[in-house]
Amino acid sequence: MDFFQSMVMGFQVALQPNNLLFCFIGVLIGTLVGVLPGLGPVAAISLLLPTTFHVTPVSAIIMLAGIYYGAMYGGSTTSILVNIPGEAASVVTCLDGYQMARQGRAGPALGIAAFASFIAGSIGVLGLMLIAPPLAELGLKFGPPEYFSLMILGLTILTFLASGPMWKALLMAAFGLFLGCIGLDTLMGAPRFTWDIVELSDGVGLVPVVMGLFGISEVLLNVEQSMERSIFATKIQNLLPNLKDWGDSIFAMLRGTVIGFFLGVLPGGGAVISSFVSYAVEKKVSKNPEKFGTGMIAGVAGPEAANNAATGGAFIPLLTLGIPANAVMAILLGAMMIHGMQPGPMLVKDHPDLFWGAVTSMYLGNVMLLVLNLPLIGLWVKILRVPYPILFPLILLFCLIGCYSLNNSIIEVLIMVIFGLIGYLFKKFEYEGAPLVLALVLGPMMETALRRSLLLSAGDPLIFLTRPISAVLMGIALFLLAYPLIRRFRK
Amino acid sequence: MAKFNNDQVSAAIWLGAGAMISLASLRYDLGNLASPGTGFMPFLAGLAIVLFSFIGLMQGTMSRKQGVGWKPPMRGLRWEKSLLVLAALFAYILLLTSLGFFLCTALFIGFLLRTVKPQGWLVVIFGSIVTAFGAYGIFEMWLQAQLPKGPWGF
Repeated sequence: MDFFQSMVMGFQVALQPNNLLFCFIGVLIGTLVGVLPGLGPVAAISLLLPTTFHVTPVSAIIMLAGIYYGAMYGGSTTSILVNIPGEAASVVTCLDGYQMARQGRAGPALGIAAFASFIAGSIGVLGLMLIAPPLAELGLKFGPPEYFSLMILGLTILTFLASGPMWKALLMAAFGLFLGCIGLDTLMGAPRFTWDIVELSDGVGLVPVVMGLFGISEVLLNVEQSMERSIFATKIQNLLPNLKDWGDSIFAMLRGTVIGFFLGVLPGGGAVISSFVSYAVEKKVSKNPEKFGTGMIAGVAGPEAANNAATGGAFIPLLTLGIPANAVMAILLGAMMIHGMQPGPMLVKDHPDLFWGAVTSMYLGNVMLLVLNLPLIGLWVKILRVPYPILFPLILLFCLIGCYSLNNSIIEVLIMVIFGLIGYLFKKFEYEGAPLVLALVLGPMMETALRRSLLLSAGDPLIFLTRPISAVLMGIALFLLAYPLIRRFRK
Repeated sequence: MAKFNNDQVSAAIWLGAGAMISLASLRYDLGNLASPGTGFMPFLAGLAIVLFSFIGLMQGTMSRKQGVGWKPPMRGLRWEKSLLVLAALFAYILLLTSLGFFLCTALFIGFLLRTVKPQGWLVVIFGSIVTAFGAYGIFEMWLQAQLPKGPWGF
């Protein structure tokens, strides 16, 4: 099947009324969680995962993906109007977006953020369509050593790019690998660290861990701070940017798109990092770098384009190699497995309806977001006025019900609350949760790949360095691990 | 605590945890390189935790010598509020199956609304009942989530 035939088939799937409805629900919820500070796409997808159990896998993935890229759109609204990022990828939008709002230019800031998101999101999806199928072909050549090396590289990139000391991120990844070992041994079927708790024989669930680390802990941190939130009082008008605004931001958008897409593809990269890199690049190429932070429209357009393009890029390693690039993709991987799909090189061939349907739905989702967001900005502002003391009990309740209804298990709810407490302590001591989540998902796959590789080579660990693809991946990982030492040695 | 900084304390805890994981993995068959056993991967993960926490301990000690001291993680924060939320969450888990979803949820929401940032009784009573009804309608009746029923059948 050629590219255009595949696209037509994808649109046939995505345009089915139920899939259109799920796409709409996904992007709407995504925008809402993006708008609301303290509830990111990771927590939202985890919360809504159980609600997809009764629908077809295609509809489920279309909706969950919609939440992810919808959140990237919504995140900019709070950054611009309240100076509080709705989610982490919009942190950098606060710098110039809020300043534009203070100067009475909230409308163009919100407008350019929406257009940048739309343009970059659409180009990102096109990149995903073009790159994913040939990469899946290459993925068929991967054996256990290549998979193991690729997962090591993914974890290393994530720890390398993590904020704070690298040892903390590596420690989190190692702890995630241990958590991934809990349950039945994938090769032998023997139980490990289950302490006779039936729920643990299937392993520590991803959803309770993620909801705890990102949902419950966030609420615990927020309630001990001042819960007052002031929305900048300004009339939002002229949402359509003028010609000068377009001139000032179009190249920033295009640069942001390229940066975001390629950083999104890298396992461990993603929307947050790409938005920061895009901002740094815009500052560097600008004739007036000193004006950044005072309301430069390029400082809004670039990062917003980057974080949306990254969402398209992030689907590539998941859909072609079965490797999640970030925590959101890790949950989507879990969701696909719950629905009986195995993401990887065979996905495009075995389930073309799911692959092309999900990908083309992202185009439609991007159009829906553009049409929805500009007229609904007033509504989002109203929602932002819901006081946090009213909002946080609802967030907690959604976490409790979402976690319980996964398997009707109170033990899993307990695990979630325990991880909420652990996540709270992690944040107090400045440990990041993302490497843990990625390692938890990759752990069982990594273990299988490692043990199979060692069985293949009769116990020779050099197998990872003697096969060319594996050697290249491992070489990059080792370089990144050694880089802090090299830098210190140079100094 | 003032003798040590935050990184030293957290790395020391991780060091102990990593050692415990490695030791506990020995209960399972480690196998050998040619045929790794059930305990192989958790043992490696435990060793990795020990290694990285040791690096952290060393870096923490070096930064301590450069004057980086203990920063109280709770200073200036109303940590008793997060304690209240945690207590409510644990109570919810304990009471959910015996009281049933509806009553337990109403009590949970009412407690949080009244204690964390106290709202008026009208908001508390109205908010808790409406939320419990709404959640019951969405999850039990619409999504058929099979939430626990109390002695009253809801």
